[in-house]
Amino acid sequence: MSMTEALPPTPAVTATPARRPPVSIVKRVLQPRPVQLVLVTIAVIAISTALHSDFAALGNISFMISDAMAVAIIAVGQTMVLLTRGIDLSVAPVMGTVALVVGFLAQNHGLTPLEGLPIALLIGVVAGAGNGLLVAFIGIPPIIATLGTLSVYGGVEAIVANGKEVVTLPAAYFNLGNNNVINGIPWDALVGLAVTAVVALALWRTIFGRSIFAVGANVDAARRAGLSVRRVIFSSYVLCGLLAGLGGLIFLAHTGSADSTTGADTNIELTSVAAALVGGSALTGAKGNVFGSFLGAIFLSVALTALVFLKINAEWEPAGVGALVLIAVMTDGSAGGRPSLRALRSMVLHRQTGSPSGGER
Amino acid sequence: MNTRDSRPAGSLIARLTQDQRWIVMLIALLAAELLYFSVAAPGFFGGGSGLLSLTEQFINIGVMALGVGFVIFAGDIDLSCGAMASFTGIVMAVLWKHGVEIWVAVAIALAVSALIGLLHGLIITLFRLESLLVTLASQFILGSVAAALGGGSPPYGFPHKFLSLVGTGTVGPVPTQLIEFAVLALIACVLMHRTAFGRGLVLLGHNRSAATYVGINVSWTRVRAFVLSGLFAGIAGILVAGFYNAARDDVGDALLLPAITTVVLGGVDIFGGRGHMFGVVVAAFALGFATQGLLIQGISQLTATMVTGGLLLVSLAVKLELERERGGALMQRLRIRSAREGPP
Repeated sequence: MSMTEALPPTPAVTATPARRPPVSIVKRVLQPRPVQLVLVTIAVIAISTALHSDFAALGNISFMISDAMAVAIIAVGQTMVLLTRGIDLSVAPVMGTVALVVGFLAQNHGLTPLEGLPIALLIGVVAGAGNGLLVAFIGIPPIIATLGTLSVYGGVEAIVANGKEVVTLPAAYFNLGNNNVINGIPWDALVGLAVTAVVALALWRTIFGRSIFAVGANVDAARRAGLSVRRVIFSSYVLCGLLAGLGGLIFLAHTGSADSTTGADTNIELTSVAAALVGGSALTGAKGNVFGSFLGAIFLSVALTALVFLKINAEWEPAGVGALVLIAVMTDGSAGGRPSLRALRSMVLHRQTGSPSGGER
Repeated sequence: MNTRDSRPAGSLIARLTQDQRWIVMLIALLAAELLYFSVAAPGFFGGGSGLLSLTEQFINIGVMALGVGFVIFAGDIDLSCGAMASFTGIVMAVLWKHGVEIWVAVAIALAVSALIGLLHGLIITLFRLESLLVTLASQFILGSVAAALGGGSPPYGFPHKFLSLVGTGTVGPVPTQLIEFAVLALIACVLMHRTAFGRGLVLLGHNRSAATYVGINVSWTRVRAFVLSGLFAGIAGILVAGFYNAARDDVGDALLLPAITTVVLGGVDIFGGRGHMFGVVVAAFALGFATQGLLIQGISQLTATMVTGGLLLVSLAVKLELERERGGALMQRLRIRSAREGPP
């Protein structure tokens, strides 16, 4: 990291090369993902309210925001990993384990949320360091490494739960997770916003943040520029774990309960990736915006609540998230191709040299 | 691809290629496992027939692994297989419940699974999206559709002729599912290592632009790998439905991780382009017997999953370490990888 001091404050690595033809001011304003997300979220709220006047009630709005916060905080961590071209599928059991440990301590020994915070962060850091070790130092591909730790940490969560559940918590948790600062703005939204702002500053204004982008854009170039690539990647997983731990605390405060399947039962690993992708991140690295991820989580929460208001069965919820992810990546230009019938035809009809005539498909 | 390390001719082991040596190690592991559990876990060996009937518990994972193997050989990944298995089982069962002849229902369900595989491949290649992303999203969509189709009442109680062939039926002491796996494994090995399609798949997994330059239709070859993955996952789903004599909308989820573990344990390079299907076949038994042995010794299913995850990580770490010894350091691998991701 010492070599990085010599780098100029803004390395020549930007998310997208600005070689676009001049665009109208309307287009330029509408181009950032966060702006689009705010507009789409407002549109969903407007349509749902037209169909169901209760939807826009302040209580419901603040509930939807509060409901999204655990995912939002985890999605911010996920964004950092995605920026380095990685992915963390193990956030669900990390979140669940934190909710269980802090929950049991609060239930049996009256631990306050503030006292629970260091425990939550510590568990997150340890889990994240495990992922970072596997990816950065042993060299296992992120998707496989975190798929493995997903089941290992899931086992730990089950052992911690030991068949018991968290059911009753001190009132302080309920206040943090459900009460409003002012009407419509819940307390935990402040926590989420603060976390997002800090991470955004770190990503945009510190050498560590810029090196995350540099590693994601081109590992080789980053290494040649003197960055300790392994350390940057390792740190991104540690920070992702840390935020997954914080997310667990917020989740516990919001729902007031936890059991052995917390996290996995609501597909937190997918939802957090989905929020980041909807927010404009890409799996190809160096592209993403933590405010986009934050708003993406809120958008998902609003869209899924709208499904409930439209009386669509809960079993369609995962399908909704999956479809939104596909739509988001197909529309944000990270898809490399514009499919056409011609492309399809030429692909299918292209003669492969020496291909067996029967065809195995 | 297998002749890359040019060691001087010496002992038998030294003459083997890297891939072959890995498979030999796997076979040794399998033998050690069988020996250990036969002694340590009463009821594991069961006079040989116990061993054979144990295979029914995990052979569906092996079938799924063969399919995922094709996709991983090409350097892609398919996370939707688990949900695909549940989905196919449900489609088959729902059709049968509505009066469709059981074999017709099976055929339709498998055709649907191959079609969805085709759709995955087309979306991934035409939109040039990451396979990880598309199949992750698809996993959840398929899961939802399966849950909606199956509803609260999973169909069960299939006809006897179906169960005796793809359920828990046996030919002598050999379970029919094991025979079916043997046939599928043979087909997969031949497709992978004895056809132009398979060779093309290995090459494009190893170096996509080189594959393009020698005239391989890279996109279409990848699409076909996804069709095979969908189809094999579908077959695994039918086998699971037959084994439990019921179709549930979440049975497949638990198969995904072991299936990917099997492929990796089998020595297929997770970045694509290296390995042998036969390794996957051996790994299916090595992983399956290990899990079953531990379950017989009384550990819980969740701990078994944990062991699977741990085994996946350890086998990868060992494999990477072995390759590093050969001089391929981590950064070199990364560089090779980023070089591979040239223009399609």
